[in-house]
Amino acid sequence: MTLPHGQLVFEDVEAGQEVDALVKGPLGTMHLMRWSAAMENWHRIHYDRTFAQEHDKLPDILINGSLKQQFILQCLKDWAGRAGWVWKVGFQFRAMNLVDETLTVWARVKATRDVGPYGLVELELGIRNGAGTESTPGTATVALPHRGGAPVPYPFRAPA
Amino acid sequence: MIEELRKYIGVQSDWETACDRVEAGAVRRFAQAIMDEDPAFGPQGEDRFGGPVAPPLYPMMMFRRPLGAPDPLRIHAGDPEFDGIGQGSSVTRGLPEIAPLAGWAILNGGTEVELFRYARHGETIRMRSRYADITEKDTSKGPIVLVVTETEIATPDGEVLLRARRTLIRRKPR
Repeated sequence: MTLPHGQLVFEDVEAGQEVDALVKGPLGTMHLMRWSAAMENWHRIHYDRTFAQEHDKLPDILINGSLKQQFILQCLKDWAGRAGWVWKVGFQFRAMNLVDETLTVWARVKATRDVGPYGLVELELGIRNGAGTESTPGTATVALPHRGGAPVPYPFRAPA
Repeated sequence: MIEELRKYIGVQSDWETACDRVEAGAVRRFAQAIMDEDPAFGPQGEDRFGGPVAPPLYPMMMFRRPLGAPDPLRIHAGDPEFDGIGQGSSVTRGLPEIAPLAGWAILNGGTEVELFRYARHGETIRMRSRYADITEKDTSKGPIVLVVTETEIATPDGEVLLRARRTLIRRKPR
């Protein structure tokens, strides 16, 4: 099976390389309400400003962590391409992001490791708002095919 | 309090099957809400994935209240203190409420996920969770409790789609 046209391959990646950033927003109350409805989660701090501020003492409505994590996966998935695979991703919600912020998902290659049938890429990542404040630092491991090789196995099989 | 809390470590839920299969309409709404309209999520699907699939983390969010189950919004309709989440979040679903933390605020502290394949449209999905760790921590804003859960999401025949380790921050109301 050949690789799709334009597929990123392991040999094209090196430490320090930046992943194409993914920008989302500004994320208003409509975006947050749409997300809450899609996942049927009615946590009031994501749409009820009075509750968020007066009950939970928050500065404003919060952008859902559960939404931010989707953006991280999208960024990595699109970078890995159809023949790659996002194997592991982890992140911490260290700072709040407030309604109406614009979020930028970034990632950078830290290390690479050839495991035979494919290569593994270790990344650091995060989400910054318009002020440049980091809210969601994390790491990921993405599997990429070799140039001229086969797509990463799907379903994914972890290396021995 | 920590001794009382640590009794919950290792407590595991039963397997729970999502009340709906992976539905094309629910996937579409989800993909539109996350603003990732990847054609692999639509009816044409993608050969590599065996047809239409859901976004990577969709299975973590598809455990919803089945028809006939108690409706927390109806139960708490007159309670101005109700946070809208209560028991039954996707993180703690199936696990007993940690009694000493009843009424404490819940914030999402972070997640680690290991992914093996996407959920396909029409599939039945089930999950099982356990309390993996519970610790107390003093912060400048007062004490918090970090509750770590581990969740496995699989098909009924045992094929694991993903594993997630999540941290909930529980904070006493001020």
